[in-house]
Amino acid sequence: MRIAVVGAPSFTTGFRLAGIDEFREVRDENKDEDLDEAVEEVLGMEDIGIVVMHQDDLDYLSRNVREEAETSVEPVVVTLGGEGEGQLRDKIKRAIGIDLME
Amino acid sequence: MAIEDEVKPTRKDLMEIKDRIELSEQGHETLEKKRDGLIMEFMEILEESQDVRDHLESDYDAAQKKINKARALDGDVAVRGAASALAETPQITLESKNIMGVVVPQIEGSKVRKDVGERGYSLLDTSARIDEAAEAYEQLIETIIIAAEIETAMKKMLDEIEKTKRRVNALEFKLIPELKDAQEFIELRLEEMEREEIFRLKKIKEKKEQEEKQEKQEQRDAEEESRLSDEASAATSSD
Repeated sequence: MRIAVVGAPSFTTGFRLAGIDEFREVRDENKDEDLDEAVEEVLGMEDIGIVVMHQDDLDYLSRNVREEAETSVEPVVVTLGGEGEGQLRDKIKRAIGIDLME
Repeated sequence: MAIEDEVKPTRKDLMEIKDRIELSEQGHETLEKKRDGLIMEFMEILEESQDVRDHLESDYDAAQKKINKARALDGDVAVRGAASALAETPQITLESKNIMGVVVPQIEGSKVRKDVGERGYSLLDTSARIDEAAEAYEQLIETIIIAAEIETAMKKMLDEIEKTKRRVNALEFKLIPELKDAQEFIELRLEEMEREEIFRLKKIKEKKEQEEKQEKQEQRDAEEESRLSDEASAATSSD
């Protein structure tokens, strides 16, 4: 299985340097329109095991896609930068009943 | 509640409900143990995850700094050129591990770290800064793989904890109380029926006794009458 990277060209270049060949480049100005499609596409690919994104890019996604990205297990979406624990934190609160991430 | 409509007040139903209560209570206990076990396991993973998150952030910052430096000093074109020359792609393999019935993945990466010579770009045309940036990103990918494994495990375990918790609560607050209500209803109903039966028997007995009494009375009356008529006839014959 492979790793995919979704984000602005400046975000993906470094990963390409490390050898990752599956990436979707969406320029900052097009993120509102094109990011949804790019994320849905990589989430639907069968040989992708991990999707790397920038945490701030999640804000550009529509509600459904964002939820899919945050809850997807295969592939799992790993976010870099920013807080990155929002969804998981909510989930822990709901499942266990206390906020364990304080 | 419409327990009265669902259960019939018979001894057979009462036995069935008692069996179901026993089974539900056993299930409740088992599920409760499972939930507690899962939460314990989750706590362990949570600690690990916080460490990995910290690493991830620091690795990302370091990698970004290095690539920015390379970009600033060697130019964007050189960095992009080196990036597109890469031949080997990192691969990951998924294996699964079972934690208390939850299948969590174990992800292993291969070909993540490469030697300078394996990276595909010409060493003569690129600078050491690009090598450093590539190395930093390789390190970052390694951390991402560990983070992916832990975060998937956490998501799956949280789902399972939620599911188990819902089951425990459904048994504890819905099914078992309903079954107990049904049991109580049948028991009360059976007791009432028993009392009614005793009352009915008493009534029948009373009625029977009364009838016997009446019969005896009638018999006595009849005997009396026949005696009187016998005496009367005897008197007339003696005359």
